[in-house]
Amino acid sequence: MGLVVEHINKSFAEFLVIKDLSMEVKEGAIFGFLGANGAGKTTTMRMILDILRPDSGRIAWNGKDVREVPRRNWGYLPEERGLYPKMKVEELLIFLARLNGLTKVAAEKALDEWLERFQIAANRKRRVEELSKGNQQKVQFLATILHDPAILVMDEPFSGLDPVNANVLKEAFLEMHRRGKTIIFSTHQLEQVEELCQDIVIIHKGQTIVQGSVQEVKRQHGRNVVRLKLDNDPEARWLDTLEGVQVTKRRQDYIEMRIQAHLNPNLIVEAALQHDGIISRFELVEPSLTDIFIEQVGMIDLLDAPSVLSA
Amino acid sequence: MSKKPKDLPEQEQRAIAVSLGGAATQHTWRNIGLIVGREYKNRVTQRSFIISTIIILLLVVIGAFVPTIIQYFTSTSNVQTKIVVVDNAGPIAGLDGDALARYIGTALNGTAGTNAPGQNTSGKPPFAITIQTSNALGSLQNQVKNGNLNILLVLDRPTNQDVYFTYYTNANATGDTNLSKVQALAQQLNFLDIAHRLGLTPAQTSRLFAQPGFTVVNTGQGQNKRSESEMVAGYIIAIAGNILIYIVIVLYGMGVAMGVAEEKGSRIMEILVNAATPFQLMVGKIVGIGAAGLAQMTCIVAVGIGALLLQIPLQAALFGANGGGFTLNITGASITLLLLLLVYFLLGFLLYATLYAAMGALVKRQDEVQNAVAPLTSLLVIGYVVSFFGVYTPDATWMKVISYIPFWTPTTMLVRIGANGVAWWEIPFTIALMIVAIFVCAWISARIYRYGVLMYGQRPSLGKLAKLVRMK
Repeated sequence: MGLVVEHINKSFAEFLVIKDLSMEVKEGAIFGFLGANGAGKTTTMRMILDILRPDSGRIAWNGKDVREVPRRNWGYLPEERGLYPKMKVEELLIFLARLNGLTKVAAEKALDEWLERFQIAANRKRRVEELSKGNQQKVQFLATILHDPAILVMDEPFSGLDPVNANVLKEAFLEMHRRGKTIIFSTHQLEQVEELCQDIVIIHKGQTIVQGSVQEVKRQHGRNVVRLKLDNDPEARWLDTLEGVQVTKRRQDYIEMRIQAHLNPNLIVEAALQHDGIISRFELVEPSLTDIFIEQVGMIDLLDAPSVLSA
Repeated sequence: MSKKPKDLPEQEQRAIAVSLGGAATQHTWRNIGLIVGREYKNRVTQRSFIISTIIILLLVVIGAFVPTIIQYFTSTSNVQTKIVVVDNAGPIAGLDGDALARYIGTALNGTAGTNAPGQNTSGKPPFAITIQTSNALGSLQNQVKNGNLNILLVLDRPTNQDVYFTYYTNANATGDTNLSKVQALAQQLNFLDIAHRLGLTPAQTSRLFAQPGFTVVNTGQGQNKRSESEMVAGYIIAIAGNILIYIVIVLYGMGVAMGVAEEKGSRIMEILVNAATPFQLMVGKIVGIGAAGLAQMTCIVAVGIGALLLQIPLQAALFGANGGGFTLNITGASITLLLLLLVYFLLGFLLYATLYAAMGALVKRQDEVQNAVAPLTSLLVIGYVVSFFGVYTPDATWMKVISYIPFWTPTTMLVRIGANGVAWWEIPFTIALMIVAIFVCAWISARIYRYGVLMYGQRPSLGKLAKLVRMK
């Protein structure tokens, strides 16, 4: 079950920004929602949250149309952060939690717990504008989760966080995950996706181009990058003459090359031995998500004029 | 959609419509209540709100006390005005010496309490009159010059002619309140003198002074049984109410627009639209700010009335029974008018506030609000200005037509009611029209609002706006 997005389309005025987009998020998963700027991530998230309505298609949470899912099931962290700067932290968070469906008592209880966990309990009586940027980020995150939603939709939650606060947020992610929450988040920091996510989708110009678990995606796109180091021949110029092999990086510690899919990587080893090379490193590399992302999005970009919209 | 969808060109402004319904409608009242509470509390705890309220309250209290204070100072600090009369003219109207002095004294001091408020009847009279002979004229003129003497009045009579008055003073001509009193006295003396010389008896002379019989019959308002003082009270309430309505709508309407723009600018709107519908957000904002405004106004009006009422016993204590310069005359008619003022005020605020909210939702930054709401403010100003003509022509056809247009109803109807120029059915009729207008405007504004709150591009033109409202 979980969240199912089926063939949604959305246009603004006469411009189609989401084209027949489908995806599925398993309940309880941490899901990476990837795409270049302007790919339609924010629009899709807003449609999942029923802030915007798709022109066609269906979005359902555990079989129920999202329009009927009570609001307190949703937690939304928008890309553009914003709070009432003049309000006290405590008042603001209780107001938002109650607006999201908690009773006053429950809101206060949740507030006590989370302020403690985030180590900002000392700031509860201060105005939001008096807080440091990092602490404001924490308050913003609390505003998303305080009402204990089942699904968290977070647009670029890691942007603008220093490493310490990013770590606090990562811990909170894992805590929410342990509590069985479903987390959908978009980011440009793909290392975080590799670290946290089970499943991902990459969208481009409103369409899904890559989808699946991180391992699947890597497997589909992998096995054709080879790293080689020869102790006696660090340049290994002869590689340039091999057919079907394209050197992508020459580094001090290794040479990285891409080989065509039908080639057996053993050819490289044989060729190196033929050139009397002393092999100190040879590995078949899984491509990083960054590589896949650039390959997929960049490739399509070449066919079309780049789209620079903010999503 | 007739056109084939194509790719979005960059920088193209998008009409993003926030969904109107969804699960958030399950908690409309709770959500509106929470938003109203936040808005109200936020506003009344703002430092600027508290400070401005205190300043206005101080001004109102000072304003109420000023007449009493002025009266107090004039009655206590004012030493007697010394007048020396030098009579070179011989008997005037048969009066001479002491008799003349007594007559002048009565004329200047005598009619205390009615003609000269601020005079202390238990103390010294404001003018001290002495008659002197002409040989001291030079030294008397010097006394006036160096301030020992306030007024020197010299009476001459060119041979067989009317009395000629010369008034010496050291006071600044513009601020000299005694001059007019003495002039009136001179006129009276001259009149008596001429009458005397013409041989009229005192009785005949007093008949000349008598007021003619004169009655005003107003046939145009036969149905009107209100007294003159009620009519005046009506005008005052209508005009004051008008000014109040104008100020409050501009002030709090602007507050609503600014509040919406602020939420957009700080981007908290993005969280809010997730939890509540645009309609809930709009209504909550308007009612919350409206309630804060109403509380402020109630506070000001209550303190104002209280301070005015306080003047009655205060003046009585300070000046005795003669002192009362102010009387508050609240009658049934004024109370009805006050109630109608409240009704029209609330309806007017709701009508304009919905439009102000929509305008606030269309701007990108807070500093653009002023420009965006300018057309609305102009609309209000028209009704405000027209209402002042309504005082003179409360039942002219054009006035009626204007007062039926909901945007102008609050200001114009109040004045027409104050001037007693309305038929009874016009009041429920205009109220009903206004309620309909509020619903229509709220519907339009809610639609604009849902497009506006997530739109950060250029402000759309009026034509585009109309298209947005019609769009599904």
